[in-house]
Amino acid sequence: MSYIEVNNLRKTFTVRKKREKGKLFREKEIVEALKGISFVVEKGELVGYIGPNGAGKSTTVKILSGILTPESGEAAVGGRVPWKDRKEYVKHIGVVFGQRSQLWWDVPIVDSYSLLKDIYLIPEKEYKERLDELSEALQLEKLMRTPLRLLSLGQRMRAELCGSLLHRPELLFLDEPTIGLDAVSKLALRDFLKWENKEHGTTIMLTTHDMEDIAALCSRVMVLGHGRKLFDGKLPELLEKYDTVRTVAVRFSSEDITLSLPDGASMEKKDGEIKITYSPSDIPTADMLTLLQNAGNISEMTLESQNLDHMIAAMYKEMDL
Amino acid sequence: MRAYISVFKMRLKMETQYRGAMLGGIICQMFFGIVLVALYRALFDSKAQTIPIEQVTTYVWLQQAFFRMMVATDMDLWDKVKTGNISYDLCRPVDMYWFYYIRISAQKLMGSLMRGIPMMIVAFLLPKGWGMVLPTSFAGLLSCILALVIGLLCMCALENITMGFTMRTLDAKGMQGLLNLLMVTFSGNLLPLTLFPDSWQKVITMLPYAQLLDAPIRLYTGEYPVSGAPLIFLRQAVWAVILILLGVWFWRANRKKMIVQGG
Repeated sequence: MSYIEVNNLRKTFTVRKKREKGKLFREKEIVEALKGISFVVEKGELVGYIGPNGAGKSTTVKILSGILTPESGEAAVGGRVPWKDRKEYVKHIGVVFGQRSQLWWDVPIVDSYSLLKDIYLIPEKEYKERLDELSEALQLEKLMRTPLRLLSLGQRMRAELCGSLLHRPELLFLDEPTIGLDAVSKLALRDFLKWENKEHGTTIMLTTHDMEDIAALCSRVMVLGHGRKLFDGKLPELLEKYDTVRTVAVRFSSEDITLSLPDGASMEKKDGEIKITYSPSDIPTADMLTLLQNAGNISEMTLESQNLDHMIAAMYKEMDL
Repeated sequence: MRAYISVFKMRLKMETQYRGAMLGGIICQMFFGIVLVALYRALFDSKAQTIPIEQVTTYVWLQQAFFRMMVATDMDLWDKVKTGNISYDLCRPVDMYWFYYIRISAQKLMGSLMRGIPMMIVAFLLPKGWGMVLPTSFAGLLSCILALVIGLLCMCALENITMGFTMRTLDAKGMQGLLNLLMVTFSGNLLPLTLFPDSWQKVITMLPYAQLLDAPIRLYTGEYPVSGAPLIFLRQAVWAVILILLGVWFWRANRKKMIVQGG
């Protein structure tokens, strides 16, 4: 049996609309957030869970963390059903909601941790060890006595993460953990998650809109759209189909060049730099380079594959999301 | 159990941080106290009343001193509902009703002691007929304290019912306003229940709101004899149980319907 088993999970929400003129009652709309999702996750996996806004990612996380009860379908994590015997279940999981906070606003963060220690009944010695370990890994030592409200967004996210991991959960849900973070904080957070996953074998399920997160962390990615699972596999496999465009940026030592491009390639000139976009399946890259070398004396050149976000956008478009 | 004790301590500690709010609260409640006392003195001057003025002024001051116990909301809890931070509390291995109940009780206890004790000291120092008088007996004082504790249990249960409404409507202000109006009127804060007509009092003193502060204060002033105290404790306790059961049921019903909106 796999660690997480989800089978045909469904969840609907009722949305009440504003009453229209001339009608006596408000109309209700049933929104199907999840239309039967199934997947399995093995212990120790680091899975990315992506999809556009409103795809049902957070709903899945909320169901699997015992907050919501699904309409139908089955789910078990480590043999436990999240929405049944919730109190016992949640001892084994940790959650980070990137847009919410679990720590107390006005008190030093270490006090919030000490409350979490009592909530999860962590023995004192274990708590100390874990807190030392986490505060070192997340660089929180100097911030322990600072109230949450004085921390920057990046510091706060690290503090939240520490809070969610104190009780050594087997499974960690991360719902957009890098939202609003700067590059340095993002990189540090990713390194930490990798470390936690490797060191403690924590299973991590990550929802995000930041494709770099997925590329850096997840060996496996699931794509969700309109409440359905559309893809489940490795990221390169997913992108293969959409990674169809290359851009080459070149500078020539003299501006005076003649360059005629074959069909299917487009060119853009800006500040003496020429950007050529082409598809390697139509024009092999080697041919393109030969073409450029023949055109003039190249002083600078970079070859780029398409930005990950563009690929994902293309994918969402094709999947009609 | 550890979780509940810990959240109690944490909330006590947090309350002590709001010393500015405490000072503001004292000044505000002192002002209301003085105005009300002046009003009753004018009433008593124009027409002799059966109830001694000292009893009424003591009633007013005790009501004002413990005002915070009655009308105090943990804004953090409202915010949690509004922002969805409540999600975190929903995935903790604790019983959420009691977790919040304990948190509220700590706030009410600490908040009212921090304001009430200095206010009572000032009220004792006021001239006779304006301020507070000592309880009629030591037993009366003890029974007042016990009644206050049971009253606090009722208040926290009422607060959790308001929280239940907040979870439904996402904004507590409407329901809170309505419930506070009932509370301020029927608890004796606006007008001492002693001054209501006798026939009204028969009903009003049975309502849950009278159990909060009115019953303890009347034990203090001696209007309720100490011999009748056990019956009052019983009445308060019955209400505490009813209100708690109501809240627990309400929360459970909410839990089934709950959706946490947004990402």
